[in-house]
Amino acid sequence: MASFQLQVNGRQHTVDVDADTPLLWVLRDELKLNGTKYGCGIAQCGACTVHIDGMPIRACCFPIGKLAGKNVTTIEGLSVHDDHPVQLAWQEIDVPQCGYCQTGQIMTAAALLDRNPDPSDECILRAMKGNLCRCGTYPRIKNAIKEAAQTKMS
Amino acid sequence: MRTTRRSFIKVSALAGGGLMMAISVPGSAALNRLLKEGESQLNNFLSIDTAGNIIFTLTKHEMGQGSGTGLPMILADELGADWSKISLVRSAYDPKFTSREMGTTGGSSTIDKMWDILRTAGATAREMLKQTAANRWNANTDDLVVDNGVITNPSTDESYTFGELASEAATLDVPDNPPLKEPKDYKYIGQSIKNLITPEVVSGKANYGINVDIDDMVHASIERCPVYKGRLVGFDDSEAREVAGVIDVIAVPQMTGVIEEHHVQAGVAVIARNTWSAIKARKKLRINWDNGDTTDQNLNDLAARMEQKALETEKPVFEKGDYASLKNQDGVEVFQAIYDNPYQAHALMEPINATAHYKADQCEVWVGTQSGERVNNEVVKLTGLSVDQIKINVFNSGGSFGRRFYADSAMEAVYLSMQVQKPVKVTWTREDEIAHDYFHPYQKSIFEAVISEEKKVVGWHSSISRTEGYHSGSQPWEIPYHFENIRTYFEQEPSIVHVGAWRSVAEHSSSLGRESFIDELALKLGQNPLDLRLALLDQPLNRIGTDSFADRVYNYQSLLQSRYLEVLQTVKEKSWYQSAQEPEKGVGLAVENFGRTVCAHVVELTMNNNTYNGFVIDKVRSVVHCGTVVNPHFGRGQIEGSIIFALSALQYGGVEVERGRVMRSNFHDNRLVRIDEVPDMEVHFVPSNDPPNGLGEPGTPPLAPAVLNALYAASGVRVRKIPVLKEDLVREPQAV
Ligand code: FES
Ligand code: FES
Repeated sequence: MASFQLQVNGRQHTVDVDADTPLLWVLRDELKLNGTKYGCGIAQCGACTVHIDGMPIRACCFPIGKLAGKNVTTIEGLSVHDDHPVQLAWQEIDVPQCGYCQTGQIMTAAALLDRNPDPSDECILRAMKGNLCRCGTYPRIKNAIKEAAQTKMS
Repeated sequence: MRTTRRSFIKVSALAGGGLMMAISVPGSAALNRLLKEGESQLNNFLSIDTAGNIIFTLTKHEMGQGSGTGLPMILADELGADWSKISLVRSAYDPKFTSREMGTTGGSSTIDKMWDILRTAGATAREMLKQTAANRWNANTDDLVVDNGVITNPSTDESYTFGELASEAATLDVPDNPPLKEPKDYKYIGQSIKNLITPEVVSGKANYGINVDIDDMVHASIERCPVYKGRLVGFDDSEAREVAGVIDVIAVPQMTGVIEEHHVQAGVAVIARNTWSAIKARKKLRINWDNGDTTDQNLNDLAARMEQKALETEKPVFEKGDYASLKNQDGVEVFQAIYDNPYQAHALMEPINATAHYKADQCEVWVGTQSGERVNNEVVKLTGLSVDQIKINVFNSGGSFGRRFYADSAMEAVYLSMQVQKPVKVTWTREDEIAHDYFHPYQKSIFEAVISEEKKVVGWHSSISRTEGYHSGSQPWEIPYHFENIRTYFEQEPSIVHVGAWRSVAEHSSSLGRESFIDELALKLGQNPLDLRLALLDQPLNRIGTDSFADRVYNYQSLLQSRYLEVLQTVKEKSWYQSAQEPEKGVGLAVENFGRTVCAHVVELTMNNNTYNGFVIDKVRSVVHCGTVVNPHFGRGQIEGSIIFALSALQYGGVEVERGRVMRSNFHDNRLVRIDEVPDMEVHFVPSNDPPNGLGEPGTPPLAPAVLNALYAASGVRVRKIPVLKEDLVREPQAV
């Protein structure tokens, strides 16, 4: 075990774990930030998506040892009052069924809109296809992203 | 305490002021028994405090089907409540809430079973509040208006809020048979009210079993025997113990529960101070298994045995008319087809988990479960504790689809906590979840029909063989179509993996064969498949007897018959089922009931060799009859979700088993449909004021046969299995 410093949602933390520990398990087990979910551990489902320096990253495959100097944002830090345009759109369209995949979906969508404030349908599908939803809320995810893009633009 | 004659509803004063309502469901003696022990034993199903806050106890599991919003909507509507004043308390497992109606969640029966209970509870409280206001004003209850948590006397314009009336209302007699609202007066029922879990989901604060964090808790990851029911011989944990964070390594014996369905596979558990250390160390275990007899079993051998069994079966489970002699008559044509429904994995999004804390005289469990009662019974057996020493905390689940009906992960957690004397959280990896799933049973279905010289189907034969271990209760001979002569066989074969309930259970398997075969027959007879279905449905029903059971069967069958007809007539009226005009495109139809809900899908697809499966599904249009649609947004969501769920099975499903080992492990080889593969979907609900029936499962079964029928229309290739792969769609070379 070794000591690692990390910056999450604007706060500095020190954790005592192995260097190969994925960021996902540091967030969940050490920092108790449970909004980031475990789904597959092999970058196949997107449930663990966080932002690292603004980029959407699968936290299950990102070892803590490689995080030095980087800023992590999780769902808990996406907005102060849960009012990021994507979170608002998710509520407006009422996307979730079981909700388990949704924090990962929201983080991927927020990163997409940062890069491209007015994505075409094709862009949305390309950006979101790494995020699985077993409940099948995909049509609503797509609508919510369009809704968020509109609020962001107006 | 005041009670009704039937002791169904009890109303008493709420501590701190207000009204508390307890309910017991007729047919379940649990509450009535407990009531004898005094008022403190009442369950708190509904309470209204002096500020008008309404708390509803959710006894049903929320796993994405919307029970935690749909149920309070029904209650709030009848009560005349202000929706914003409603909040939910999730009940831990509580014997005061057990019964089919309230203790377990499954079979798409939640709305169905709770409808009467909730409406009666809401109406009772409303009438008591109204009576209180009427007493104060010396008015007649019939003249008062209830809306949005306020009772008004229109002639004087005076009003009281529920909160102002609740304490006094609690002292009144409970009315028998309070009047229920007419559908035209519904305020919330039928509206797309937003899911109460959405705000906590989007903030990341939604709580699931996998998030449980107890003081002093340790984490377990279990390496299980790769072959079903294999045993542990021994293990070397020296390397695993060197991994930082590892606390202990413990053998987990194979366990069978109170219910035989609850199987815990033998394994070796690594206990560590965090999840990652446990997962990592597990890979360093060297384990010696006795894989048992299943180790020489391959899926293909099982499939061949099952087909043989279905073909050679001798004793029918159902017979009507005389199929056997019909088949041997001169001039008739006998047509047969065999359909294959493989095992399917649940792949629910939140991996299986459970946390338990065993102390000498207590045991507490934290788990997302469809049946707290089953978990409780297993904990009693494992620990020898009594029910009042056990607490089962139930969490919302990140998907379940039948999988969380089973108590296996809770059994593992309790067993390990007993060993280490600390709280233990068991988290399954995705690989565990796929390899050790409670798979949808394997089924082979043989359908056969006798066609008369007049080109009419006069006999219907089906022979089904299914892997043993899970039976949903649906009977293979129950078909909506009418034939003079019917013969049904049903056989079981030992399974080579564990089986269990999977979204839409036996209907999913049986529908594939039945609804494909009807199409095959129609085309053989040169008829339109939709018209043939309508003709076979629209026949007089026969009563099976004269007693009340026969009446119930008759009523059920008539309801189904009329719903099937309405659904298919709607498809016809909408002209959704028209043959495609362009080459390489096809349209297919299938219809199925799950309980009382009837669902038809019309699928449009295009052959496309550049895709993984060789085709692209363009559109799915659905007609659904489920009685009243309590929340159309949820209803559409369940049908869309079911379509996507069934599409994953159709495109990527099945589970390969070789040498007794499941050959899939994670989402790269157990693929699921992704957002870029979703067809356009349109859902139409047949308008109805009948009581509501479930929507969680009915959209799943008819999807696969509708696609297979559309594939035939597009390509001329008849596929009788899922998943459909490119090689299944190779066309015969055209003669030149
Ligand atoms: S858990 Fe990271 S992508 Fe699935
Ligand atoms: S909402 Fe359940 S997995 Fe996406």
